[in-house]
Amino acid sequence: MSASFSVRPYLLLLPGLLPILAFMSLVIGMALSQSVGYFNFSGDSGFSLRFWHTVLSEQQFWRAFWYSARIALFSSLLSVALAYPVALWLRRPFAGSDLVSALIKAPILVHGLVAAFLYVNFISFQGFLNAALVHLGLVARPIRMQNDPYAIGVVILQVWKNMPFAFLILTGPVRAIGDDILDAARDLGAGAFARLRRVILPLTLRSLQAALILIFIGAAGDYSFQSVAGPTSLNSLAQYMVRIQQDNAGHGWNEAAVIAVMLMGLSLFGSAALAALIQFLLRRTGR
Amino acid sequence: MPPHALTIDEASLSFGRFQALKSVSFAAEQGQLVTLLGPSGCGKTTLLKAIAGFLALDSGRIEIGGHDMTGIPPERRDTAMCFQSYALFPHLSVSDNIGFGLRQQRIGEAEIRSRVGTVAEQVSLVAQLAKLPGQLSGGQQQRVALARAMAVRPGIMLFDEPLSNLDAKLRDQVRMEIRALQRQHGFTAVYVTHDQSEALAMSDLVVVMRAGEIEQMGRPEDIYRQPKNRFVADFIGTANIMPVRVIGHDAASGLHHIESPLGRLTVRSEIAPVAKTIFACWRPEDAVLVAAGDETGPNRATLRVLSRTFLGSLCDLIVVTEGENPVSFRIQMHGFTPIAEGERITLSLKPEAIRFLGEAAE
Repeated sequence: MSASFSVRPYLLLLPGLLPILAFMSLVIGMALSQSVGYFNFSGDSGFSLRFWHTVLSEQQFWRAFWYSARIALFSSLLSVALAYPVALWLRRPFAGSDLVSALIKAPILVHGLVAAFLYVNFISFQGFLNAALVHLGLVARPIRMQNDPYAIGVVILQVWKNMPFAFLILTGPVRAIGDDILDAARDLGAGAFARLRRVILPLTLRSLQAALILIFIGAAGDYSFQSVAGPTSLNSLAQYMVRIQQDNAGHGWNEAAVIAVMLMGLSLFGSAALAALIQFLLRRTGR
Repeated sequence: MPPHALTIDEASLSFGRFQALKSVSFAAEQGQLVTLLGPSGCGKTTLLKAIAGFLALDSGRIEIGGHDMTGIPPERRDTAMCFQSYALFPHLSVSDNIGFGLRQQRIGEAEIRSRVGTVAEQVSLVAQLAKLPGQLSGGQQQRVALARAMAVRPGIMLFDEPLSNLDAKLRDQVRMEIRALQRQHGFTAVYVTHDQSEALAMSDLVVVMRAGEIEQMGRPEDIYRQPKNRFVADFIGTANIMPVRVIGHDAASGLHHIESPLGRLTVRSEIAPVAKTIFACWRPEDAVLVAAGDETGPNRATLRVLSRTFLGSLCDLIVVTEGENPVSFRIQMHGFTPIAEGERITLSLKPEAIRFLGEAAE
C-alpha cells in the first residue's frame, strides 16, 4: 500500500517527462549515431570513427570551436555584468522605474535576425553611425565596421539580445532580498560593498548561474548573428556545421553530426565550468 | 556626570505630509531597558529606525553615549538591532550569522570563534551552530537574531517587536531570557512593542506613544497605577473609565468628593481635577466584593452581574449599574467566585484606587 502510494507521484510525472525524454534522446541519439557512421544518407551505414577523425583533424573546426566558445563566454559574462547592476538599481521601485524596466526588456520583442540587419545597417559604410561621425567631424571618411574581424559586432548583438533575458532572470531574486536583511547587515557594520559581497551576491548567485548558463548555451550555438554581422574569415560552430553538411555531398550529414555533438559538448562543459565557478564563488562569498 | 546612554532630543520626522514623530524627547540611562509602547502607527518603530540610523530626522537630535548621531550612517553607529522578521542571513550558518558583525569589525578568527561560542552558549544555541536559519524553529531563529546583535557588544540594543512571531508560551520564555541577558550584560536596550503586558514585564522605563507623540513615560508601575489620561489608562491594562463631577474637596483628609455612575464616591488622587466634570478611572482588580449584610468599606455600590467568565486564576465579571442609564464596568476577582449571572452584588473601592485623568469630560 505504502509502496504504491510513493510510486504514484512519479507515475503522474510520466506523461510530461516521457515526451521530453523521447524528443531529447531522439535528437541526441540521432546526432551521436550519425557521428559514428549510422544513418548515412548517401552510403553504407555502419560503425566508424572516421568522421570524428576527419573533423577533429581539421584546423578550421578548432578555430570555429574556440571562436564559438569565446563569443559565448564574453556574451554571457557581459550580458550578466550589465544586467546585474541594473537589476540592483531597479530593486526598489521609484518614479519611472517601470518604464526603465520595460525599455530594458524591449529587445526581447525584436527577433535576433531583424536586430542583426538593423545593426548592420546602422554601422555599415553608408550607415547612420558613419554618417553621424563624418557629420560631427570626428572622422574624415566612413570607417569599415561591418563584419569586424574581432567579432565585436556579434558580441554587441548577443549582449543586446541577451541582456534583457539576464535582467528578467535576475530581477526576481534581487527583489526577493528583504530590506530587513540588508538593514541588518548595515546595522552590523557592513558598508555598501560589504553588503553586495556578503549578502546580495551570495543570495543571487544561483540566478546569476542560471543566466550565465542559458546565455552561454544560446550564444555558443549562434548562427544568425554570425551570418549577418560576424567576421567573414571565421565561422561559428553552427555556421561551420551547415557549411560542412552542404559542401560534402557524400558524408556531410555525418561530419555535421560530429560538429553538432561537439557543439553540445561545448554547451555542456561550458555550462559546467560556469556552474563550478559560481559554486566556488558561493563558498568564498558571504561569510 | 556621565552622559546618558541614549538621548532623544525634540526628534521630529515626517513622511510626506504625515508627521510620524512630533518633538519626541527622552533619555535612557546606561543599562536601562526602555520600552516604546503604543498602537500601530504611533511612531515607535520609526523612532527605533531613527535611532539605528535607517531614517534621518527632520529636526532634533539623537545622542548615543553623548555623541551626536546626526549624519552618522547605521554601520557606524554603536547599535545592533533585533528585527521583527529576525532578518537572518539565509545563506549563512548560525555560527556565521552570529559572527557577521564581528567579521565586519575585522576581529581575528580565533576571537570570533570564542565570542560566537560564548554568545551561543548564553542563548542555548551551541548545538545549532552549523545549521542554516531555515532549519531552525521560530524561537531558535529569534535567539540567533539576539545572539548576532549581542555578539558585537553594542552600546544600544534595539528590539523591534522581536516576539511578535512567537506563540504565547515561547514569547513568555524568550521575553524572560532577553530580560535576564540584558540584566546580566548590563546593555542599554530600546524595545518596541504594542503588547502592554510585555512592556510592563520587561521595562525599566515605559514610553507610551500615540500619533507620533509621547503620552506618558515612567516606571511600569507608575504608568499602570497613575495613568495621566484616558488613552494611557485604556491602553495599559484594563481600566474602568467614567465621567465624574467633582462636588467638593476636604483639605484636611485630602479627599475629593465626586458624583459618578456608581453614586457618590470619595477619591484620593495624585492628579488634581482639572475641571468640575472630568474623567476618572479604576482598575478591575481594585474592586472588593462586599459580603451581604456587611456595611463596612468605602465607596460602596450595588451592581448587577451581566456576564461572568472563569479564567482559572481569575474570574472576570461585567457588571452594570441599575437605573435608567445603566453603565457597565469590568471587575476581576482572584480565584473562584461563586457569583451567578443576573445576581446583584455590592462592591467597594478604596479612595486611592480611583484616579482623576487629566482630561475634562466636556
